[in-house]
Amino acid sequence: MDAGIEEHLAAGRHARAFDLVVPAFRDRVFRLAYSILKDRAAAEDAAQETFVRIWKALPGFDGRAQLGTWIFAITRNTCLMELRRRRPTVSFDDPDSAEAQHAAAAIATGPAEDPERENLLRLVDTLPRNQQEAVRLFYLEDRSYEAVAEQLDMPLGTVKNLLHRARKRLMELAQPAEVKAA
Amino acid sequence: MNDPTLLPPCAEFEFDLVEMVDGTLPAERARTTRAHLEGCARCRAWQADYARLDAGLMAALPRPALLADFDARLQGRLAAETRRAVGADLRTQVESDYRSLVDSLRSGARRSVLLSAGTMAVAALGAAILLPVVWPGAGAALAALDPVQRATVLGGIGGAVALAALGWSAMQGALPGVRLGA
Repeated sequence: MDAGIEEHLAAGRHARAFDLVVPAFRDRVFRLAYSILKDRAAAEDAAQETFVRIWKALPGFDGRAQLGTWIFAITRNTCLMELRRRRPTVSFDDPDSAEAQHAAAAIATGPAEDPERENLLRLVDTLPRNQQEAVRLFYLEDRSYEAVAEQLDMPLGTVKNLLHRARKRLMELAQPAEVKAA
Repeated sequence: MNDPTLLPPCAEFEFDLVEMVDGTLPAERARTTRAHLEGCARCRAWQADYARLDAGLMAALPRPALLADFDARLQGRLAAETRRAVGADLRTQVESDYRSLVDSLRSGARRSVLLSAGTMAVAALGAAILLPVVWPGAGAALAALDPVQRATVLGGIGGAVALAALGWSAMQGALPGVRLGA
């Protein structure tokens, strides 16, 4: 944690601490929100809401958890509430489900004019939610396992495994249909 | 993809191949892995596919940034929250003041009624004791009256004392809703 933030918090100067928290965390909070919500405007709204919550709760922050861990937990909760608020859609959380298999097949064998990039993005969308979040966050955070581990509050090894499984799955999904059938 | 047979890499090198692409493989293990790669076409092909996917994801995944007015909008929201909180505090304070005023009026009224009743009793007792002294013939005069007249006189005296006590309470402002005098 930023030493200045720590100092202000210890002295009960919560408003001053908050003034330092925003610039120190806003980009990471936004990127975490984006990795979960997959929408820039929604992620920005969630980041705003997160900081309002932090502002209200900061006087009660007791320092038992790392400040970053606490802030990212608030961010994840805010995003999960937003996801719950939205109308439920077809879930691809189980990559072996019939819907996910069908969607992946349709994407991988889609029209030839589909750009490779679009295809890859759609394939990412077929991954289980936790893998999607980890993949998005990993590349948003310049391929930093540590940043993903901190923001998702997971052990480093778990993050590495999660990303490895996700990317192996993407390699399989990206194979042309005729190769998969071989 | 390089390897149409989709053969997996050698299991003991799989994670090292990934870490090599990620640039996080320690030097000693990197040397061992490079030596293995020289003699293993399957691992070379798999790693090349993996590296291509990694680069593809890096290029394909959106990297949105916060809008420039994020801080200003956050300050606006916090100011609105502060106004709301101050308003709520003010309402709470007014409600609390009103409750304590009503409570004090009620307890004051109870005290005043008890005081008035006591005063009235003392005044009646005093009158009963003093009357024969002030007007020695009062006993004889009362005895000379018929029972109806005697009850009327005694009732009149009692009523006058009660009215005097009530008037005194009202003058003190002790009766809720009634205030006489300045």
